[in-house]
Formats: sequence, structure tokens, C-alpha cells
Amino acid sequence: MEAFNNLMYGFGIALEPINIAYVFAGVFAGTIIGMLPGLGPISALALMIPITFSMEPSSGLILMAGVYYGAIFGGSTSSILLNAPGVAGTVATSFDGYPMAKKGLAGKALAIAAYSSFVGGTVSVIFLMLVAPLLSKVAVSFGPPEYFALMVLGLTAVVSLSDKSLVKGLIAAVIGVMISIVGIDLQTGTERFTFGSAHLLDGIDFLVVALGIFALAEVFYMLLRGGGGKEAPRNAIGSLKLSRPEMREIAGPVGRSSVLGFFTGVLPGAGATIGSFLGYSMEKRIAKDGDTFGQGNIKGVAAPEAANNAACTGSFVPLLTLGVPGSGTTAVLLGALLVMGINPGPMMIEQRPDVFWGVVASMYIGNIFLLVLNLPLIPLIAKILDLPRPLLLSMILIFCMIGVYGLSFSVFDLLLLLGFGLIGLGMRLFGFPAAPLILALILGDLMEESMRRALQISGGDWGIFLEKPISLALLAVALFSLSAPVIKKRLKREVIDT
Amino acid sequence: MTRLNTNQWLAVVLLAFSVLYLGFAWQVPAFPLPRPVDSDLFPKVLGFILAFLSVLLFFEKPAIQEASDEPEDATQQGPFWLSPWGRVVITSLAIAAYALLLVPLGFVLASTLLSVGLTLYYGYRRHSINLAASLSVVLGLYLLMTKVMDVYLPTGVLPF
Amino acid sequence: MPSLSIKRLSVLALPFAAFSAIAGQVQAQEWTPDGSVEFIAPANPGGGWDTLVRTMSRVIQQEELADENYAAINVPGGGGAVAWAQIARDEGNPQKLFATSPPMILVPLAGASRYDHTDFTPVARLITDYSIVLVDADSDYQTLEDLLNAMEEDPGLSVGGGSAPGSMDHISIAGLASAAGLDAAAVNYIPFSGGGDAMTNLMGGHIEAVITGAGESVGQLGEGSQLRALGVSSEERLGGELAEIPTYKEQGVDYTFDIWRGVMGTPDMPEEAVSYYENLFAEMLETDGWQEARDQLGWLDAYQDSEAFGAFLDDQQALFSNVLSELGLLGE
Repeated sequence: MEAFNNLMYGFGIALEPINIAYVFAGVFAGTIIGMLPGLGPISALALMIPITFSMEPSSGLILMAGVYYGAIFGGSTSSILLNAPGVAGTVATSFDGYPMAKKGLAGKALAIAAYSSFVGGTVSVIFLMLVAPLLSKVAVSFGPPEYFALMVLGLTAVVSLSDKSLVKGLIAAVIGVMISIVGIDLQTGTERFTFGSAHLLDGIDFLVVALGIFALAEVFYMLLRGGGGKEAPRNAIGSLKLSRPEMREIAGPVGRSSVLGFFTGVLPGAGATIGSFLGYSMEKRIAKDGDTFGQGNIKGVAAPEAANNAACTGSFVPLLTLGVPGSGTTAVLLGALLVMGINPGPMMIEQRPDVFWGVVASMYIGNIFLLVLNLPLIPLIAKILDLPRPLLLSMILIFCMIGVYGLSFSVFDLLLLLGFGLIGLGMRLFGFPAAPLILALILGDLMEESMRRALQISGGDWGIFLEKPISLALLAVALFSLSAPVIKKRLKREVIDT
Repeated sequence: MTRLNTNQWLAVVLLAFSVLYLGFAWQVPAFPLPRPVDSDLFPKVLGFILAFLSVLLFFEKPAIQEASDEPEDATQQGPFWLSPWGRVVITSLAIAAYALLLVPLGFVLASTLLSVGLTLYYGYRRHSINLAASLSVVLGLYLLMTKVMDVYLPTGVLPF
Repeated sequence: MPSLSIKRLSVLALPFAAFSAIAGQVQAQEWTPDGSVEFIAPANPGGGWDTLVRTMSRVIQQEELADENYAAINVPGGGGAVAWAQIARDEGNPQKLFATSPPMILVPLAGASRYDHTDFTPVARLITDYSIVLVDADSDYQTLEDLLNAMEEDPGLSVGGGSAPGSMDHISIAGLASAAGLDAAAVNYIPFSGGGDAMTNLMGGHIEAVITGAGESVGQLGEGSQLRALGVSSEERLGGELAEIPTYKEQGVDYTFDIWRGVMGTPDMPEEAVSYYENLFAEMLETDGWQEARDQLGWLDAYQDSEAFGAFLDDQQALFSNVLSELGLLGE
């Protein structure tokens, strides 16, 4: 009941005309920023700090939060249509979203993404409202050993993501980890594999690799296949409507991934990207038709989209209840809150209920806006696929390059993008799956970092990973998920044998 | 000696790469303060895993390549720069040229040139539409980034 | 990369330059920038340098302190090294400034940048923050002394910080340990990806203590806090919410540590330009707009003009290289 009263109070704030305008402006700007590869929410929010400076804190946060979840919402569009993830959190969406678009189901894929995002966003706001103060305990209970175990669990998904050849999938994953550790090693300050180049000191940006291996490689592949119009059926958008069985089919994945995504988001440092991968690989393992993931399975679009939006909302838990940013984006938000004179922390909900409940209520409104805004736009945006093939190809190239340049303003990164495009083309031609590489790239350095941090704390005692209950449990799940398919196979064989 | 199959020569390349990688891994300097696990351990382990996996790959039977994956039939006709591989090579060169010319020429000019040029090269002949589409996308992005988002982009030879 | 646009600007500006040379003989030697000033944050949007640059350019514009636009430009990479290499090439350019702080000294000392502070022109030091030592609110350590004693007994005691070994937070705690008579190299410093990350781990009981910026920790302290502050590295007690925290000095450890931030310019920036910016920034510090922003960000004014800032930087370099060599981390 108390939550209800608080929520009503929050709606009182969020429904003020000026705040409705801010929610709308925020989610609208966010959608656009999300669609453009490279223009991520981080830089957008950093640039908005001066604008929000003079605003009422609740309005300022309502606006900025809108940009953040709006960007995650909008990021799926370019993942699905162009295989060019707009923000890091939507890379997993392209695994099945892009194949769907190629089959002429772009409209359906975008609609599923919109519905799933909406559900993921809304479910997680409910969680945020009901359990945020309790969850701050969960967030701090994850120390270095627990993160290490979580990363190991995440990496076991490589097995399910490598469809044809396990060896090739593992090779891709190892290379992904190799890319992730380039740069200054945070644990020692030592340079690794930088070859003396200052451009590599901060490592290789995730989006440079993702845009190269997915979008640019796809362009090269199309060029190699003759570039003719044989793959692009006319009226390529298809219907937006979902049939009842399809609705029923994605209901489970969306529900599970919303919850999973939210809890991933609550953990500082995990966030939307990891959440969407975990959601995707979980559904791939659970699904009876798991082997059709990657070929345009609707569940493969629904799961990561629900998860990444839920994780985005989840990341507000550590930010608002602990005053601790869990990601680069929430770090900028924290900075903005400080500028507005708000100190997020354990006392904030009591001291500034207007900010906390106002933002929570605005998220309900924002998610509805996003759905209403995006659904009618789908046929319009998907028209991009009707462009003549030559024009479409050069537009994708331009978008990738502007995106990468906008990330770092570095010519060097443009050349890296080209390099990864060629690597991606090679991987495609020789049957190496790209998803394990991307997954390992995200998790690899986090895994190494948390492992070494844990050992530094324990003074080199490896037992620390087994003494902590959460870490032990996660490692056990990881072991089980690796061995389960083998056991299943053996059991089956025994049944046949007898 | 029989001819190596695809997996086998890929394995050889990867093995060579992992040896090279291990060579660099051994050059990662040790940290002066005691660390239970220093910066060099992970790279070394990764190098060995990759070497081991490439041995496994050597003995894996290659999957039957889908016929459509081989763009052979198209390679015979026309000059190299119009062949499928020629397209990939020229596009790569264009991207590299773009990267190097972006700052001297400025964002708007370089991007428009790349977009119009590649579209033309890929065989689109309606020049006015090409120019209009390229210019509007490039200018739109430029204005969005510089005016709305306040991001600095190189202006180059044009005054904006 | 922006050097070319400046070249272009100067071509356009040639006739004006000729004109102003004549005008200059008539008027007093008053230099003003010609067109917009490039103000570089050598990092991505959102960090300390970026916040400083954007706050300054906003205040200068809002308070109408200058007719010219101070364009915030992000040049991230290598903890600043990428931007420094770029700026070092732009010798004598009077319209290019950048934000600076202890990494300007530390990164070159670690051998990760070819350029150090002596390659650039100091313009002004503006603000400062201090280090703060935190423990869990339920911890047994009530004073700095308790913690230092425990560190002496158990060198494995984990102290988290927000940056890599050999950078700011590590130097700060190692210097403190050394001043208290401990072995600086024996401090079990655990690097996290940021002060916030370190503080979360402290709340979760994964580490014993944290060293981070006082400004960064303000939100975590106060009533109902899960953390306890044991000391700050300032000369005298800080104001506001941090007023109750004793300094190291009060607790018998003669050691201070500044996390200063300032502005530097291109190598050999003309003197008249330096003095123009000095005056501009000094004026800026007096405005209401600045003071409001400063208080909200938890910064403290610590203005020094070009000359004093230059001398200060030399002192800092000597101090840091002492600590680094004690740690055995001095780059070649």
C-alpha cells in the first residue's frame, strides 16, 4: 500500500505538464540517438548536463533517464535493419533481428523489439518501485569473487552460441578475450599488446569491434555475393502484426528475460549489454527450437530486447539507493545529479522523494510514450530497406564510420573498424561464429580483472572463489550448464541401448 | 602429401598466430610489486589455449561449404575492379582513404565524397538522387552532432 | 587533428592580424582571442577533466566574461597521452587550452607519455579536491591510527582505490603510509575501475578500507551512512558536510595530498595570451555562476597564476617521483 501511495505521489510529479514534456523530449531524443550507431547515451547525457543544470532536479533526472532508456529502446532499430548495433546493449538483438529483416520480416522484428522493450521496461520499473531499497544489499553483495563467477557463467554461453563447430566457436571466444585485454592493465598499469601506440592504451572500444564484425563485414559479404538485388524481396518490411501463437511463444522469453535483465542491471558493472547476452543465451538453451536461434527466431529478438531495457532500469537501483554508478552512463547521471545538488545514496529516497518517485513514475509514462512513438514509426523507418542496394550499402558504411568517429574522434579507430570488418568477413567465409567473439570481448577483461582483484584481496588464495556462497553457487551453475548437454546425451544413449 | 583442407590450413595460420602471440605475451613486463597473478598470466594462458584449439581444428572435418558461399562464377567476367573481390578491395581502400582524408578535407566533404563515390561505384546511375540522399544524410548527421549535441567535427577546407 | 582548422582560421585571420598589429601600436598591449578558443578535455565526456572544461565554458558564456566561444573538445586516449601529443605539436598557438590534474605528472613519470608538464605552458590552477580515507561504518577502525596500526600488523589488509597502481589514489595512500612510518610498497592496494566501484565493495565488506576523492564521497557520508571517514588529506578541515572529518595532520601524520585541477596551454604560448587567460579565469572564480557550480560539485577554489602554478607543478613532480621510486614504480 505504501508503495502505491508513493507511486501516486510520484505520478503527481511526473504528470505535471512540464515533466510530461520532458519525458517526451527525453525518450524522443533517446530513440534517435540510439538509432545512430556510435552516438551513445553516454555522450548525449554528458552534453546535456549544462541544460539540466538550472532545472528542478526531478525534471532534470526525468529528462535524462528518458534519454537513457529511450536510447536502449531505439538501439534495436539499426541492429535489426542494418546489422549495425546502435548502442552496445543491442548487439544481441542483431543475432536474430537481422536475419528476420533479411527474410522480409523487418516489420515484425521491429514490432517484437518494441513490445519486448516495453514489457522489459515496465516490469523492471515495477521491481524498481517495490524492491529498490532491499536490492541495494544485493548490489553490494557482489564483490570480486562473485563477479568472476558471474563472468564464468556468462562465458559458458559460448558453447550454445557456437552453432556448427564448437572448436571454431571456442577459437572465436579466445580471440575475443585477446582483444578485450589490449591496453593498460588496470591491476598493474602495465601496457599489453599496445605496440607502443597511445591509441591502444585505453583498449579497443567494444562498438568498434561490433560495428566492424557485424555491419561492415555484412557489407563486404554482400559485395562479395554480387551485390545484386536477389536477396532483397520487394515490400521487404512485411507485416507488423503478431499472431496469437507468436505472442504466446515470446511471452515466456520476454517475462524471464525481463527479470534476468533487471537483476543483471542491479549489479554495478554488469548492465544492459551483459543482460541482453545472458537473456539471449538462456532462451537459446531453454528453447526446444534453440538451434534455429541466429536464423531469425522471434524469441531471439524478444529475449535480448526485454533484457536490455530491464537492465537499463535496473541500473538505477545502485545509482539511486547507493549513489554508486554501475556503468559509464549512470556515472554521467550521477555527475548530473551532483551538479543539481542531489546526493544519491541510502538517504535519498527519504530526503528527496520527489526525485525518486517522480522518476519511477515517469518511467511508466516514458515506456508508454516509447511504444506509441515507435510502433507507427516502424513502417516509415523500415523503408530504409527499400533504398536501392548501392545507396543502402554506402549509407551503412557512412553510418558505421560516423558512429566510430563520434565515439573517439580518432582516425586510428576508423582504420581499426576496417580491420575488424575484414576479420569479420573472413570469419563468415570460414564458418567462425561472431557471437562468441563479441560475448568474450565483453566478459573477458571483466573476468580477468575480478579474478585478479579477488586474488589480490585473498593474498593469492584461490579458495576465495569457493568460500563465498554466491560465487560457489554461480560456479556450480556454470559447471552444470556445461555438463548438462553431455549428460543428457549419455542418458538418451543409455535409453536407446537398453 | 595430400593437399590441406580448409580447416587444416586455417589451423596452421592460427597456430602461427598463437606462437606469435605467446612471443609477445612473454614480453609483458613483470610488475615491481608482488601480485598473485601478474599481467602476463592471462595472455600466456590464452596463447596456449588458442594453440591447443588450432590443433583440434586441424583434425576436425571441414563442414561441406554451401555452394552459394563461393562467388567463383562471377570472378571470371569483367576487370578486377568490378569483380566481387575487387569490390571488397576497393571499398576497403576507400574506407582507408576516408579515414586519412577526414581531417584535412573536413567531415562534410569527405563523407559526401565517400557516399556519392561508393554509390556510383556500386552501379547506381541516378546521380541526382544519389547526390541528394548522400548530402542530406551527411548534412543531417553533421548538424545533429555539431549543433544539437555540441560535438566537434573537423571542418577542413569548407567553412563549416 | 584540430590543428588544421586552426591553420585555416589563421589564414582567414591574416588581414585582421595586420590590422590589429597597427591598432596594437595605438592602443595598450591588450591581447584578446581571435575567434573561438579550443578547450580540450583529454578524456571522454563525463569525467573530471570533461566536467571542468564544460563547467568553465558554460560559466564564461553565461556570465559574459568573454565574447569568444570556449569550445569544449574531447580528445580521449591513453589517460591523456593522446591529447598531449596532439597539443605538443601546436607550439605557440594562443587559442588552445586543456584541462589538467595530477595525471599530467603521473602518466609521464610512469613512462606512458613522451610529453610532461614542462612541455606545456601553465596557465592557472583553479580548484582542488582532497583524498579521503573510508572504512565500513561497522568496522573496528575508529581513527586513522587504528587503521594504520592494523596495516602495519597485517600488510595484506586490502585498501581499495579508484585508479591503477602508480596513479592518484595509490600514490595518495602510499604517501600516507610512508609518512606514518610504514613501508609504502607493502600497502595492499586494490585498484577498482572508479571511486564508486571501490566504495560499493567497501559497503559489501569485500575490502577493508578505501581511498578516494573527498568530493566523490560526499554523497556517501552524512546521516545514515554505511561508511565512516577516518581522515582527509587537506591542510585544514574542509567545509560543509565534511567539516567533522579530521585531517591527517590533526591525527599526527604530517602529510597532505592535493587533487588539483587547472588549465594549461600549448608549448610556448605567448605571454600576453597567458596573462589574458589568467585574468579571465581569476575573474570567473568570482562570479556567482561559478561559485554555485563549484559548491555543487564539491570543488574548492585554489587559484594560482601561471608562475605559481608552474612552480607548484615542479614540486608535485618531485613529490610524486619520490613516492613512485619508493614503490619501485618509476618508469624509465
